[in-house]
Amino acid sequence: MSARAFCLLVLALPSVSIRAESIPSFTREILPLLTRLGCNQGACHGKGVGQNGFRLSLRGYAPDQDHAWLTREFMARRTDRAFPEESLFLRKAAGLAPHEGGKLFSIGSRAHTVFARWIEAGMPGPDSKEAPLLSLEIQPASAVLQPGKSIDFAAVAHFADGSTMDVTWLCKFDSNDPGMLECNSSGQARALIPGITAVRSAYGSEVATSAIRVPYASAIGGGPANGHPVDKVLGARLDSLGLSTSAICDDYTFLRRSTLDATGLLPNQEQREAFFQDKSPDRRAAHIDRLLQSSAFVDRWTLFLADLLQNRKERDHDVRGVQGVRSFHSWLRDKVATNTPWDQITRDILTASGSVKDSPAVGYYVVTVGEHQDPTRSEIAASSAQAFLGIRIGCAQCHNHPLERYTQDDYYHYAGFFSRLKLDRKEPEKGITQLLGTRPDTKAGANQPRTGQFLPPRPLDRTKYTPDKDSDPRVALAQWMTGPARNQLAGAMANRIWRELFGRGLVEPVDDLRATNPPVDPELFDLLAKEFDKGGMSIKNLVRFVMNSQTYQRSSSTLPGNSNDLKLFSHYPARRLPAEQLLDAISQVTGLPDQFPGYPLGIRAQQIPDPTFPSYFLKVFGRSERVTACACEREGEVTLPQLLHLQNNVEIQGKIRDPKGILKSALAQKKPPLEIAQALHLAALGRPPEAGVQTILARELASNNPEDVLSDLLWALLNSKEFSFQH
Amino acid sequence: MIRIHPDPTGNPLSRRCLLSAGALGCLSLADALRLQAMGTPGGRQRTQRAKRVILVFLGGGLSHHDSLDPKPDATPEIKGQYSTIPTALPGVRFTDKVPLLAQSLSKATLIRSGSHNNDHHETATNWALSGRFGSPFGDYPAIGAVVAQQKGFTSALPPYVSIPRNPSFTWELGKSAFLGGRYESFRTGDPNQSGYKVEDVSSTATDLTKGQNRRKTLLGAVDNLARQIEKNDQMATFDEFHKRAANMVLSTEARRAFSIEEESDKLRDRYGRNTFGQSCLLARRLIERGVTFATINYGGWDHHAKIYESLNKKLPEFDLGLSCLMEDLAQRGLMDDTLLAVFGEFGRTPKINKDAGRDHWGQAASLWFAGAGVRSGQVIGSTDKTGAFATKRPVSPADVAYTLLDSLGIDPRTPLQSPDGRPIEILDQGEVIRELFA
Repeated sequence: MSARAFCLLVLALPSVSIRAESIPSFTREILPLLTRLGCNQGACHGKGVGQNGFRLSLRGYAPDQDHAWLTREFMARRTDRAFPEESLFLRKAAGLAPHEGGKLFSIGSRAHTVFARWIEAGMPGPDSKEAPLLSLEIQPASAVLQPGKSIDFAAVAHFADGSTMDVTWLCKFDSNDPGMLECNSSGQARALIPGITAVRSAYGSEVATSAIRVPYASAIGGGPANGHPVDKVLGARLDSLGLSTSAICDDYTFLRRSTLDATGLLPNQEQREAFFQDKSPDRRAAHIDRLLQSSAFVDRWTLFLADLLQNRKERDHDVRGVQGVRSFHSWLRDKVATNTPWDQITRDILTASGSVKDSPAVGYYVVTVGEHQDPTRSEIAASSAQAFLGIRIGCAQCHNHPLERYTQDDYYHYAGFFSRLKLDRKEPEKGITQLLGTRPDTKAGANQPRTGQFLPPRPLDRTKYTPDKDSDPRVALAQWMTGPARNQLAGAMANRIWRELFGRGLVEPVDDLRATNPPVDPELFDLLAKEFDKGGMSIKNLVRFVMNSQTYQRSSSTLPGNSNDLKLFSHYPARRLPAEQLLDAISQVTGLPDQFPGYPLGIRAQQIPDPTFPSYFLKVFGRSERVTACACEREGEVTLPQLLHLQNNVEIQGKIRDPKGILKSALAQKKPPLEIAQALHLAALGRPPEAGVQTILARELASNNPEDVLSDLLWALLNSKEFSFQH
Repeated sequence: MIRIHPDPTGNPLSRRCLLSAGALGCLSLADALRLQAMGTPGGRQRTQRAKRVILVFLGGGLSHHDSLDPKPDATPEIKGQYSTIPTALPGVRFTDKVPLLAQSLSKATLIRSGSHNNDHHETATNWALSGRFGSPFGDYPAIGAVVAQQKGFTSALPPYVSIPRNPSFTWELGKSAFLGGRYESFRTGDPNQSGYKVEDVSSTATDLTKGQNRRKTLLGAVDNLARQIEKNDQMATFDEFHKRAANMVLSTEARRAFSIEEESDKLRDRYGRNTFGQSCLLARRLIERGVTFATINYGGWDHHAKIYESLNKKLPEFDLGLSCLMEDLAQRGLMDDTLLAVFGEFGRTPKINKDAGRDHWGQAASLWFAGAGVRSGQVIGSTDKTGAFATKRPVSPADVAYTLLDSLGIDPRTPLQSPDGRPIEILDQGEVIRELFA
C-alpha cells in the first residue's frame, strides 16, 4: 500500500450549512475526518512516534487514546473551548499557524465548522451509547461505464440500531486500478480504458467497494457456446466486456500444457502415443484423467502444499533436522496421494500435537512458532490466516488493517487460539521436540499490547466462542475454519489452484482476499469455491474440473480484440516455468538427471522436500524459500542471470554433449540425424519441427558434422521461449 | 557545464521563470545566468554531473556514535568505548577506528543528520534504497533499478549491479518491484573468494563464438511462440535478455570487467583482502567499463549485542576500503563524474543496551558523499549532544534518492508505468540536498 503524501493534500471541501443544534460525534465524525484529511496516516501523526510531538493512532484504531491526545495532552494546549476557532490544531490545519502538513481546509469549510462545533460542545469523547457501526456501502454498488464517462460515488454508513448516515464527505475513495479508472479522493471517477476494476472506500473500521466494468469497443462476441460452467460464467463476463476469446489450442499444445500443469513434467513419448492413439472425441478428458492418476501428479502438488505450509529447515536452531522436514513432506505427499480433502488436511495441521516424529505436521509449528515462548507473539497467527484463509492479518498485529475490517483486537483474539500451545524444543541429539496443545498453566487468550486487555480466542468473523478450561482452543479454530468459514477456506484454495493452472489468480495477490480486493470475476470465484467444496475439497477434482473447460484449453495466441486483456483469461496466459519444473525439463530433454547433494540420483527437483539445499539454478529461477506464508516468495520474473545460465552454464552445456545424453546416445546408435532432430524437437517443445526448421537442418547437415549441428539445435531448443514458457 | 534545473521547490529561477525571462518578477536572462554561474542562493551552480553512481550500503545500520559522529562529552553509556581523533576539518572529530576516513573527509561531504522514523530493517531499507516509503516488501523500485530503466545499457555490462548481492535480512531487498525482472540488479558474487568467477559469465563454456550464427538461425526457426502472442512482458524481457546475455558472454571486455585478478596484488592489498575491500575494487572496475549504478552491499552492522567485538574488526575494514576507493577513483580521474554515496537504513540507539549493543534508530544516521561535484571537506547537519536527533538540516531518504537521480540527469518526478499501465512518479517527495554541491 503506497503511503502517499496525505499530509500535503489540500482539500477543498464544500462549505455546507450544518444544523447548529447537533453535536458532532467523536467516533462518527471527528475521527473519520482526521482519517479523511490524512492527519492520522502513517506518513504524518499516525506513525508510531507521531509527528512533531503530536501523535494519533493510525487511521483512528484507538479512539480513547486519540481523544486524550487531542484534548488533554500538554495541558490541553491543542484545543480552546472558549474560542474554538483559536484552537491550535484548527489553526494549524487551516493554515493559520505553521504546519508541516500544510493547509488542510479553509475557515468556514464543513470540516472546520464541524471541528469548531465539537470543541465548543466540550469535545465529547467516544460515546458507548452510540450504536456501533455495522457496515459501509458505496452507491452505486456496481456500474458499467463507457471510456471517458464519469460517475460520482456516495458512501452510506449503516449502524446497529438500523440508522444510516451519508458519510461521503468523510470517506476517501480510491480506484483499484487507476490506470483504467481514475478516481479522486472525493469519489468522482472517470473511465480511461476498458477493463474491470473496483472503487474502494473505508469508514471507521468498515470497508466497501463498487464493481466497475468498462466494455471494450470491439465487441466480437464470446467464444462458442459450451456446457462447462466455467466457460458459461466467464463467457458471459467476456461478452459483457466485448472481449474476444482466442481459439482452442492444438493437441500438441494441450498435451504439453496439461502435462506440465498436472504433473510438472514435459509429456513423454508414451503419453503422446496414448493420446494420439485414442481417436475418441473426449481424448483430452481421458488424458487429463491419466495425468491425475500418475505419481508425478502427487509430487507436483505436494510441492505446492509444501510451499504453502512453509516446510523448511530452520536457519539457526533447527530442532527437526532434515529428517523432520522430510517426514512432513512425506506426510503431505501421502495426503495428496490419498486425495485427502483440504478441510481434513487443514484440521490435521491446525490441531497437530505430540512429537515431531510421530506427528510430522507438528513441523508446521516448529517453523511458524519457532523459538517464541508465547505463541501469540509468533508468526503462527499471521501465517495460518494467510495460508488457509488467504487473509493477511499481519498488519493488524500492530495497528488496524488499512484495507480491511480487521482490527488489532481481531488479531489478538485470533492469536489467542494458539495461546495454549507449548512447543518443547529439543535439539535432535538431545531428544525429540514435542508440541502440547493444552498448556495447563495458561489461560486461553492473548494480551493486546496496546490496551493491555486480555482477549479470549475469537474467530475473525467475531462470532462468540467460549473456551473451556481443559480444551485445546485450536480444535475450535479448526471447527470454525472448516465450518462457518468454510467458504473462505474453499475460495482461498480454489483461487490458488486456479493460479497454478493459469499463472494468475482470480484474486491477486492470491493470498490477499479481502472485500476491497474483489475477484476479477466474483461469480467465477464463487463457482470454483462451491465446486471445490462439492468435490470433497479435493485438489485433484478441481484440477480435473478446470482443465476440462474451454477456458483452460484456449490458445495463448492473442487476437487484436484481446491482446490488452491480462486479467480475464480471454487467451491462455503464457508465463515462464517455475524453477523446479524448468530444471526437471532440462533433465528430461537431455536425458540426464541432476545429482542433488544428499539425495539419490534420479530424484527430481520437484521431489526434494527441503528448499534450503544449495542450487544456483533453483535460486536464480526463483524457487520459494518458504520463509513466510506469502505466495510472493516464489518468483516468476525473467532476469538476465537466467538467460546467461541457459546460454552459457557449464553444466547445461555439458549435458548437451554428454556421452550418456540423449544426443550422443542416439548418434552412437547410428540413428539418422534428421530423425534425431525430430526426436529432440518433440522432446523439448512437445511438437514436431516445422518445415522451415527441417530445411535449415538439411542444409546444415549436408556440409557439417552432425554432432555439431544437432548440439546447436539442442542448444537452440533449450534457449527458446517455447521451451522455457508454459503456453 | 551550467545546468538550469527546473526545481519546483523554492528555486526562484525556475525554468518557467527563465523561459519567460523579462516578465514581471523575473531577472533578465543575463542576470539569471550570471547568478546561476555564481552559485548564489538564487541559482544553483552545477558544474559536475554524475555519469555513474557507486552506492555503499551499510545494511543493518552503522553506529554513528562509534564512527563518524562521536559524542566524546556524553555519559559513558552513550559515548561508547572509542576515543576520538581530529579529522582534516578543524573542529570535526571521528572515533579513532576510522583514521583514514578522518583524512578523506577533505575530499568528501559528511551528512550527520540523516533522519526518518522507521526502525524496521526491511521497511527502512526499502525506503532508503527507493526513496519512497512503503511496506517491508518493497513496493517501490530501488534507485538502481530506476536508473537501469531510465538509462538502459551503455555497454555489454548490465547497468545496475549489486556486489556481492542485494541487501537481505529475511528476504531480498533493493529490488525492481513493479518495474519487473528486466531491471533487477545483476549480482556479482563475492570477489574476495579465491578463484572468483561470475556464474555463467567468467567461465567460457565450450566455444561459444563458434557456431554462433547457426545457433541464432536455429533459435529463430524453432521459437515461434512470440509470433503469436502480443503484449507479454515476460516474453519481451526474455528476448531482450537473450541478446544481452549473448553480448555479455561474447564480449571479452565485459568478461574481463569481472577479472579482479588482473589488478596488482599491491592494489588488492591496499583495498583490503576482505569482501568489502575487494567489492570496492570490483565496483571501480565495473563503473569504468559501463556499469551506471553499482551497489556495494556491505551488511553486518546490526550490532544488538557485543558491539565492540564486531566493530573492532569491521570499522578498520570500512575505513581502509572506502578511503582507498576514493583515492583510486581520484587517481584514475573518475571522481569528477562518479557520485559515491555511503549510507545504511538507519543509525543506532544512543544508549548502549544491556547486551553491550546498540539497537535500531531511524532518527539519526551519518551519510557520506563524494565525487561528481560534491563539495570537498564539509559537514552538513548535526545531531544533539546524545546523537539521538538531528538538530540541523534533517535529510530524508527521499532527499537522498532525489539527489542521486538528479545527479544522473534523471528527473525524479518522471512517471513510471506499472505493468498494468498505472502512472507512478519515481519519487513523490524529496528535493536535492543543495548544500552537497554548494
